[in-house]
Amino acid sequence: MAEARYIYCIVEGSEEITLGNIGIEGSSIHTIPYQDLCAVVHNCLSEPYKSEDQEKVKLWLTTHAKVVEVAWERFGTVLPLGFDTIIKGEEGVAPDENIKKWLKDDYENLRQKLAKLKDRAEFGVQVFWDPKIISEGLIETNPEIKKLSEEIKSKSKGLAYMYKQKLENLLKKEMEKEADRYFKDFYGQIKRCVDEIKVEKTKKLEEDKQMLLNLSCLLFKEKSKILGEELEKINNMKGFFVRFTGPWPPYSFV
Amino acid sequence: MEPSRDTHATLVDLLDRILDKGLVINADIIISVAGIPLIGVNLRAALAGMETMLKYGVMQAWDEKSRAWEREYRKKNVPSLVEGEEIVLKMYGSYYYSKGIYNAWRPGYFYLTNKRLILYRQDFDEITFQMPLEEIKALVIREEAHFVKEKKKQVLYLIDKQDRVYRLSAVETNQLKDTIVQNLTASGLSLEKSPVLPEFEEGPIDFLIEGEEVTHRGEKVWYLVPASGIQQETWRPGHLYLTNKRLCWWYDFERKLVFDVPVNRIVSVNTEMRKLSGLDSKREKVLDVAYKFNSTKAIASFSGGRQVDEWVEALNRTIYGKIDEETETCPQCGGLAPAKELLEQGCSSCGWVSHRLKNKINKSALLAE
Repeated sequence: MAEARYIYCIVEGSEEITLGNIGIEGSSIHTIPYQDLCAVVHNCLSEPYKSEDQEKVKLWLTTHAKVVEVAWERFGTVLPLGFDTIIKGEEGVAPDENIKKWLKDDYENLRQKLAKLKDRAEFGVQVFWDPKIISEGLIETNPEIKKLSEEIKSKSKGLAYMYKQKLENLLKKEMEKEADRYFKDFYGQIKRCVDEIKVEKTKKLEEDKQMLLNLSCLLFKEKSKILGEELEKINNMKGFFVRFTGPWPPYSFV
Repeated sequence: MEPSRDTHATLVDLLDRILDKGLVINADIIISVAGIPLIGVNLRAALAGMETMLKYGVMQAWDEKSRAWEREYRKKNVPSLVEGEEIVLKMYGSYYYSKGIYNAWRPGYFYLTNKRLILYRQDFDEITFQMPLEEIKALVIREEAHFVKEKKKQVLYLIDKQDRVYRLSAVETNQLKDTIVQNLTASGLSLEKSPVLPEFEEGPIDFLIEGEEVTHRGEKVWYLVPASGIQQETWRPGHLYLTNKRLCWWYDFERKLVFDVPVNRIVSVNTEMRKLSGLDSKREKVLDVAYKFNSTKAIASFSGGRQVDEWVEALNRTIYGKIDEETETCPQCGGLAPAKELLEQGCSSCGWVSHRLKNKINKSALLAE
């Protein structure tokens, strides 16, 4: 099978160096330079890594992350690639030549990206709320809902059921409004502390917690403290929880 | 608040990024990685699932609960017995329970004791059937068609002193019967010799219309139910009845007529050796009945092993018997009917009447006024 190069990331640098056998399945990591850009790669066969064995895939993924991490520390700024990006050779063209040609063709674009990412890192911010606590709060504070929930108590069983349905519908609508409002508030609060923001899809993880917003944020590594303080405020609000992860290589901003 | 990483919980966040994101090379120099995201999705699901489970201790609770259930289950696998009662025989079997619309073989373990015959369902700690030995009047074994094709099932009919009949079936029906007899003899009881078993109808014949009589019937016959909607054509068990008017197939499970065709519409009857399913390599004799249907021809297929030949004979007798008395096709629907009937009564399937008959009817109507 033809030779190919598994590519982990692009870094700033002009030397051809090796980083040791820290790659996927113990492969040796080295750089392929073009002017002041380097591709961090290992030599592999011209076929993707795939396996049904989840433990194996997990190990590959964490190794990929590790290599990007090492390069990040050593070269300062990285443009990370996703898992399983493999550059092939062509008839009469070695894979290394292909990489160099790509670096050359995309040089301006890559340089711009590197400049934008200099000294910065990616952080994950996820804000959750507990719908039960929030809706309890709404019953207290929203006059319309409060009135309705008071009325239920004096109704007969059948009527109470109807009223309960009505209450639930109203509550659902108000909750959606609240979610919208909080999303905008939090987004604004966080935006002030970061350079760039990406809104990710919310995910359903746990029963009693709803994910309200899921953000990837790009900021100066040193500025994470300021963001942390802002998130602390949100986390201290009743019924709200914040997950703050990072620093990650800027996977979401390349 | 400090950002966190390098914990198990943040692994998902990292993997999300590595799998979905990163610099994309827009060139034909990278090899195709189709299928890779799939691994990612599975992996992610597994990771997320693991995390939630560990957090809530779902696994531990589930494990504990299932163990407790299993312990209880083991304890209860014997029905409670009265004092002095001893188990003589235990055998897997079933009892035909029939009440209202509910008809089914209810499985369980037969326990023959020195006092009773019991059918016990251990999952529910329930006795579904029991009979004191001294109440048993007679026992008869009969071979009956099994639900599984071409298989016979030994059914033990138990008749009690009130002349009620129960249908039982066991892994070794003969052995069950013999052991019951031995036990009865040991306790000085005896059974009625050569008992008369009331006739059983496998499928109730309540679909007959006035003046209709069953002329041929047999054991279980499978009908190839035509495809409808997303349901592919399938062989289903039931019973075939030939009457002086129709050929009818009764679907055992739904307890209704699923197919019927007037005898005078049957065009031809053939047999063919065919595979009944893709899984089976065996060929079986299939009865194909061709009949007129909406001015085209349709075919109904039946299978029933050795019976097929009997059916061909019975059908031919009926069809050709009828055709002999001059069959004609109805000018409106194309259905076959005896010429005399067509002329004197009109077509029974579409309501067509001849001009002459129409005039005659009109005339008699006028006269009546």
